[in-house]
Amino acid sequence: MKRKLVSVLLCAAMITTLVSGCGNKNISSDEGTKKAEESGGDVTISYACWDSNQAKLIQTVADEFEEENPNIKIDIQVNGWDDYWTGLEAAATGGSLPDTFWMHSNNIYYYGSNDQLLDLTNYIEKSDQVDLANYPEGLGEIYNIDGKQYAIPKDYDTIALWYNKTLFDEAGLAYPDDTWTWDTLKDAAKKLTKDDKSQYGFCAGLHNQEGYYNFVYQNGGEIITEDKKSGYDNEKTVQGIEEYFSFVKDGLSPEIYDDQARAEAMQNGLCAMGLFGSWNLSGFATTDFMKENFDCAVLPSANDGTRSTIFNGLGNAISATTEHPDEAWKWVEYLSSKEGQERQAELGTAISAYEGTADKFAEAYPMFNTQCYIDMVEYAQIRPYSNQTSVWEDKAYELLKGAYAGKEDTKVACEKTAAMMNEALDAE
Amino acid sequence: MKNKVSKKTRNEWCWGWFMVAPTIVGLVVLNIIPIFQTLYLSFFKSGAFGKGNVFVGLENYKTMIQDEQVWYAVRNTLGYTCLVVPVTIVIALLMAVALNGKLKGKGIYRTIYFIPMVAAPAAVTMVWKWLYNSQYGLINHVLNSLGIEKMNWIDNPKVALISISIIGIWSTIGYSMVLLLAGLQEIPRDYYEASNIDGASKVRQFFSITVPLVSPTLFFVLVTSIITAMQVFDVIYMMIDVTSPAYNSTVSLVYLFYNNSFKYSNKGYGSAIVMLLLLIIMIITVIQTKLQKKWVNYM
Repeated sequence: MKRKLVSVLLCAAMITTLVSGCGNKNISSDEGTKKAEESGGDVTISYACWDSNQAKLIQTVADEFEEENPNIKIDIQVNGWDDYWTGLEAAATGGSLPDTFWMHSNNIYYYGSNDQLLDLTNYIEKSDQVDLANYPEGLGEIYNIDGKQYAIPKDYDTIALWYNKTLFDEAGLAYPDDTWTWDTLKDAAKKLTKDDKSQYGFCAGLHNQEGYYNFVYQNGGEIITEDKKSGYDNEKTVQGIEEYFSFVKDGLSPEIYDDQARAEAMQNGLCAMGLFGSWNLSGFATTDFMKENFDCAVLPSANDGTRSTIFNGLGNAISATTEHPDEAWKWVEYLSSKEGQERQAELGTAISAYEGTADKFAEAYPMFNTQCYIDMVEYAQIRPYSNQTSVWEDKAYELLKGAYAGKEDTKVACEKTAAMMNEALDAE
Repeated sequence: MKNKVSKKTRNEWCWGWFMVAPTIVGLVVLNIIPIFQTLYLSFFKSGAFGKGNVFVGLENYKTMIQDEQVWYAVRNTLGYTCLVVPVTIVIALLMAVALNGKLKGKGIYRTIYFIPMVAAPAAVTMVWKWLYNSQYGLINHVLNSLGIEKMNWIDNPKVALISISIIGIWSTIGYSMVLLLAGLQEIPRDYYEASNIDGASKVRQFFSITVPLVSPTLFFVLVTSIITAMQVFDVIYMMIDVTSPAYNSTVSLVYLFYNNSFKYSNKGYGSAIVMLLLLIIMIITVIQTKLQKKWVNYM
């Protein structure tokens, strides 16, 4: 009998703590919102991104921001590129987008035109720290739909040629510089390739932005025309792609399909050269092997001297459904301000978009010729995009991989890609 | 006379319904309703973020029939099932019989064999991906030292489905084995003793006593393994990207559904693909239930 009583008492005690626990929470959160209404009390702003290397550096910026704004907490959420977009779409469908997040040219229209993003136009007008005139032309424009600004440029990136200095020294070759053309590149690749396939001259992975897009635009071709038609059936586009694929066909590059495998092929000394975007710098700088053996240079020009590199910039966007638009804006404003942009450049997050802050980024990675990324902006080509880029972009891989592996004629594959892409563009 | 139900019986019915209610509610909310919603969605061209769906009738199904990738996916899914299920069941049955006998430390073995089932498929695949790596993988390293040429386990269209099946077999054997083991323990010892006296060999005992008497469990394992195998997704998703040359020869129906629904934001078309999968699984399961009368022995 006594035992029963004890257990009943215990149960009762547990239930009361449970109930009161919940109750307390309710009260405190009520108070929290009240406080927030009165004086902007503790608010957590989530910030989603897809690059774990950058996230570490942004955490430092966030810590500094929190110090200055003690009532705002920044919660950085990282998800890999593919999962990021799948997750973001699911979140948007369910009405639970993160407060602030990275936006990409591929997806801005999809999110912006469907009212998922907060219109920042008025915020920018009122702000004394953010003025779109301070960012490179074209970058801000990516995130502008019908006169409404949906994101503020965060950074920009270009593509450069990376090479293994040690392998060049072994072969007695001069390092790549701005005199290089497609022919020089191919000659060097031939000399750096070993017959037993233990070493390849070039790493021509099946990749658009860090791959054949650059060759297409150097050749005067285009992926998407101004009136939003596919450029894959353009003769010059086909030639550019053919030139890029020829490295695989001639045995100067391994066949690489996986994104991560391209960097691995360089880091393991399998390939002597490869194309990589500036966003890789923070990762490359943490590998001793890369620091000791590698450097980067501007992309080779086409044989007629035409230069190009694919240029893109990310933006910081705010969700249309955020409960704290003012606090979210404060965070985005800080990230976009001269001070915030300089800080990000210093830390080496990415090439900051704010004019005049990019040089600080070059200083963050003195072991590489980082400046070449910034120099290339002069002739850089904005990454081709349409309203629903990701739909045709990944499908293009599916259709081109046969030609890449040398099983299909490149021209035929490009024509198929063009047909698919035009269909997708029409459906937009 | 039978129309009159006593209060007690009615009370019992109420309790019965009450007891199964959690499962039924769960099934209806999580399975049955979504099935009909998917069917409904398959007649629409889906708009952005779940809004603005446009009714297109049978358009998605028409596209599906003409889409060769869908038929590749059907072929791959069936191929994967045919590779994984028989091998798994045979190995699992043999292991279950072995572990049912007098063996030292069989508890440890049972645990070891069951571990792959507990590990997250994504993590398992990551490890296998390293083993399969064509340049630095352990498997190729061993093959190389044996003088066999390196294989591209992941990107070679002819090999990739087999590589995936090996992971599938490896991770499901333990589960099937435990189920079969439970079935084996139901078999009364007397039969074996009697047959020993009659002088039956171990092999004869296996085919004349073990297999027939474990057949109800075997049937259950067969049906569930086929359904699980038909729904293969995570291993392929982790291993094969759309850019891989092995994509067309490995893409399963669920993976194709995922890519169309979430990668290419065409949820209507994705739903149509899933309805096709549902249809195929239903046909196979109906055939199996019909055939079970021929070989399953309920004691």
